[in-house]
Amino acid sequence: MNAPATAHIFKARPTTARRREKTSFWLFRAATYLVLFCGAAVFATIVVKGSRSVFQAKAPFINTTFFTEAPESLYVFEYQGKKMELGDKAYRAFKAQNPDAATVKTESYVYSAGGIFPCIVGTVLLVVGSMTIALILGVCAAIYLNEYARDGRFIRFIRLAILNLAGVPSIVFGLFGFGLFVLFFDWNVSLLSGWFTLAFMVLPVVITASEESLKSVPKGFREGSLALGATKWQTIRKNVLPYALPGILTSSILGIARVAGETAPIMFTAAYVVRDKLPWDVEKFSDFFFQGVMALPYHIYVVSSKIPQNEYTERVQYGTAFVFLMIVALVATTSIVLRNHLRNRYKW
Amino acid sequence: MASSSTPTTISFLSRKNRFRLFGLTLDDCIRTFFGGNALISVVVLALITFFLFKEGAHFFAQNDRNLRIYRQAGLEYVDFIRTQSDDHTALTRSLSDLRVRTLNELTQKQNRPLAEANAALAGFDAFAGQFSDAVDPLRSLVSDLTEQATEIKTKFIVAGDKQEERNQLLAAGKTAEAGRVQIAVINFQEELKPLLATLPAYREANQAFATQLKAVMATAPTLPTPELQGRMDKFKAHTRDYLATFPAVEHKLETWDYLKPVPFWQAFTAFIFGREWLTASFWQDWYGVIPLFVGSLMVSLVALLLAVPLGVGAAIYVNQIASLGEQRFIKPCIEFISAIPSVVLGFFGIAVLGQALRALSQFTWLSWVPGFPFSERLNILTAGCLLALLAVPTIFTLAEDALNNVPRAFKEASFALGANRLQTIIQIIVPASLSGIISAILLGLGRVIGETMVVLLCAGNRIAIPDFTAGLGVVTQPVHTMTGIIAQEMGEVVRGSIHYRALFMVGLVLFFLSLGINYLAQRIVRRYRLSIG
Amino acid sequence: MVIADPLSMDTRSSVPTPRPTMGTSSLATAGDSSAPASEILIDIEHLDFFYGASQALHDITLQVEAKKATALIGPSGCGKSTLLRCLNRMNDLIDGTRIGRGTIKIRDVEINGRDIDVIELRKRVGMVFQKSNPFPKSIYENITYGLRLQGVKTKAQLDEVVERSLRAAALWDEVKDRLHASGLGLSGGQQQRLCIARAIAVEPEIILMDEPCSALDPIATAKVEELIHELKTNFTIVIVTHNMQQAARCSDRTAFFYMGRLVEYAETRTIFMNPGNPQTEAYVSGRFG
Repeated sequence: MNAPATAHIFKARPTTARRREKTSFWLFRAATYLVLFCGAAVFATIVVKGSRSVFQAKAPFINTTFFTEAPESLYVFEYQGKKMELGDKAYRAFKAQNPDAATVKTESYVYSAGGIFPCIVGTVLLVVGSMTIALILGVCAAIYLNEYARDGRFIRFIRLAILNLAGVPSIVFGLFGFGLFVLFFDWNVSLLSGWFTLAFMVLPVVITASEESLKSVPKGFREGSLALGATKWQTIRKNVLPYALPGILTSSILGIARVAGETAPIMFTAAYVVRDKLPWDVEKFSDFFFQGVMALPYHIYVVSSKIPQNEYTERVQYGTAFVFLMIVALVATTSIVLRNHLRNRYKW
Repeated sequence: MASSSTPTTISFLSRKNRFRLFGLTLDDCIRTFFGGNALISVVVLALITFFLFKEGAHFFAQNDRNLRIYRQAGLEYVDFIRTQSDDHTALTRSLSDLRVRTLNELTQKQNRPLAEANAALAGFDAFAGQFSDAVDPLRSLVSDLTEQATEIKTKFIVAGDKQEERNQLLAAGKTAEAGRVQIAVINFQEELKPLLATLPAYREANQAFATQLKAVMATAPTLPTPELQGRMDKFKAHTRDYLATFPAVEHKLETWDYLKPVPFWQAFTAFIFGREWLTASFWQDWYGVIPLFVGSLMVSLVALLLAVPLGVGAAIYVNQIASLGEQRFIKPCIEFISAIPSVVLGFFGIAVLGQALRALSQFTWLSWVPGFPFSERLNILTAGCLLALLAVPTIFTLAEDALNNVPRAFKEASFALGANRLQTIIQIIVPASLSGIISAILLGLGRVIGETMVVLLCAGNRIAIPDFTAGLGVVTQPVHTMTGIIAQEMGEVVRGSIHYRALFMVGLVLFFLSLGINYLAQRIVRRYRLSIG
Repeated sequence: MVIADPLSMDTRSSVPTPRPTMGTSSLATAGDSSAPASEILIDIEHLDFFYGASQALHDITLQVEAKKATALIGPSGCGKSTLLRCLNRMNDLIDGTRIGRGTIKIRDVEINGRDIDVIELRKRVGMVFQKSNPFPKSIYENITYGLRLQGVKTKAQLDEVVERSLRAAALWDEVKDRLHASGLGLSGGQQQRLCIARAIAVEPEIILMDEPCSALDPIATAKVEELIHELKTNFTIVIVTHNMQQAARCSDRTAFFYMGRLVEYAETRTIFMNPGNPQTEAYVSGRFG
């Protein structure tokens, strides 16, 4: 094109509208990346500071005590010109060896030594139990809503209830669990109370996810099966559920992130600030269900609000937050990746 | 129809030969089983309502009793005088605030040495001292009366405990022991006599107080700048108004009657409209939800103010402007943010953000921002910022959905008419999805107002209505919230106590608030669907 | 079919001529046409049908003869698919549908009666859908699906049915080496014939076809049409089609529907050569629709 640039009528010209468009697009872009930046900032801070207490320079590079021990108090004192930081057990042993150590001025910080093993165990138990309950109830409910129910007042009512249940604040679930399970059923602060409270909390998530997966199974599968003389249940069991199940499970992983992440519902129903015994140290089997546990989110709450912040306590504070964030992040990533994978795989 | 045919044809296609349980075929049973599961969400919702009511409903009876004893034991009477004395304290505080300002003016603007400035303020100090001392006779009267009233109240409570003990014994069948429990009958009229007898003494003290104040006011010093003098004049006007209330207080005391019934609805209004939440106090407990409600509302508003532009902006960007690659990157990232547990965010607020914001507020070049600088690192702003990060993914996802639902044809038609992308977005796409976006914002509000851990850790937990006279600077004050108070106090209260029930009532308020928000969001969406299809 | 046989013995007693049993033998004896042309298998009388408030079918009266292919033609929305889905009560799956008046009898049994087992009905009235819908299972499993539901487990029996059905659907030669490959891996025409094979496997008496070729290319269509031609020696076929040539090629009788009413029903030849109704003539000659 040798013609001068102004020759043709469709030549792009700088106009006010164009400038305005460009500016506002940059604003939108800035808003988007600001959000991502904030998220990244939170994540990075906790990862950077937390990895210090989780990883170490020497082999095996992971601070194993942090993962295998129970929380202990930390004692900080100066002895014979040397600065000592000892956990509860070590401190007692030290005092037994050096009786004069008892007279040295000592600062103590609760929960700041040892590890978080019981919290991890407790969180895993809570998640497994509550998700099992929620999946059974949620999938069955979704099957009814998607396969059996006809549109009507009753179904609209149920859907409304599910929608509203999803909006109930988690602390209200905590109060409810406390009123129903802890007090009325007299289960006390226990795994069982926590399981049901959490299960009811994620129920809407599971139902919605399951229904979506069931909906994505083409109608032809159902019609084809019914036209061959299968009963409704045979159709669902053989020709709908198998194809919906992967979707149900992946979407429900997001529910796991929610269950693991919530603190408010377990505060009064399942979580103990500190408990010496591990959950499997029970006399009889049934006691297992009726014991409270320590849980990671509650532990974070305790260590960030009940003990002062300084160089000694920071280790456990950031360390716990880091481990917890990693677990939840791992779960969430798995869910997101699996779902995208699934979307690409099933295209009928 | 088939019954009219021959018997042989009935068996063809008949369903009678199928397995049955209670007259239902297997399929019906399965259907019923699944239906039962679907009902669970309804049942849970009903149970939540029921148990919140069950634990909370007694609150009103207990609060009614609480309010009645407040009147009958004369606490109310004493509080009239106490309020008067507290108002004076507030005036004294504003006076000392004025002194700080004047001192700043003298030392910083006029560059006088500190000693000289203090010397220049000697007249002011004498005035302030006299002003604050004037209340002393009244204050000592209040402290005497407080003791008397507390004594009456204690007697009453002890009697109540004994009654309870007897009832328990009777319920356990131990009649003899029950008979031995001594219950003192409280004659309020007799008990209140010495209290009420102090009225002449009050009148006298009040008279002296008023005279003293008037005398002091005459000696009020003049201040160096017109601005400070203006404040002084304002202070004088306040004092005059204060003095004018004295006869009213006296009248209230004269006409006060411990027998005046406490209306039954007061137990309710004292909760819903009560401006004080005061528990475990030696004097009188108040359970007013307003400070908590305002706290929750302020935190949520700040969060939404930040989250709405960011969330909706990001949704528009991702849905309409971003390239496919960007979309693939941004969407999972935002989803990922929504997975960050709130307690971790709360911890981040305590450990990092609170201090960072406080440090930011200390910069002098930022002092024009209302409320800056502030000293409380945990406040509305800190909590609001973190909650915004929680609300953004919710708002983003739902708003993006709404934008996605706008028919392509709208967009194409707009382009075909020569509109550019921005014009199309603003004039066609956003209006078409507006109700979806609004409901996204509402659901974001629901998410934020129900959030517990962030506000518990980061809102500062001061139970008071923030001081709105600070204008926009109000966001740098600490507050307590409805969710926070439940989480904080539930673990410590005695089961069945009025405090315990009050917390359930707060939960009930929260529950209905979230239902209301949800309902509104759904209504808006439904209307939107009708208008499109 | 093993289970259906005693029942069909009963029903057969009401019609004068015994029809060949729908067993192995019947497929082997292709070309056998012992049943008289007059045997009425499906008898629809004064049928009114509603979707919610709107009436989709008005006063339909139609008799379908056994061992014949009957085509239902007409413009979109004329109710032909609706009528087809009435015949095995697939409309039950759609909310708000109801029959206002009239009866549908198959072998003199009112299929909308209270004590009708829909499952049993659907076993005897198979269906092939507009969009081929093989299950995402292997070819073998697709075909044995219906039998397994009825409790047939013997491998030999299943193998035999698979081969027989695939042969009947003219698909055997194409897929016999990959019976355990996914049914979704077949081409469109093969998928549709797989669906037909699947329907045949449960040995229905009637096969309903809802525009079975509308998503297929001409070659695949030709194969399916050929198949229909062969199938009608053993099955009663009701086919809904948009394609008038198709109706002309493979059906014995044709019913023309318009606006939910049955306009004309006669021998296919009559409908196309010498229609009695001006609307029919306009439609078949391509002037509207």
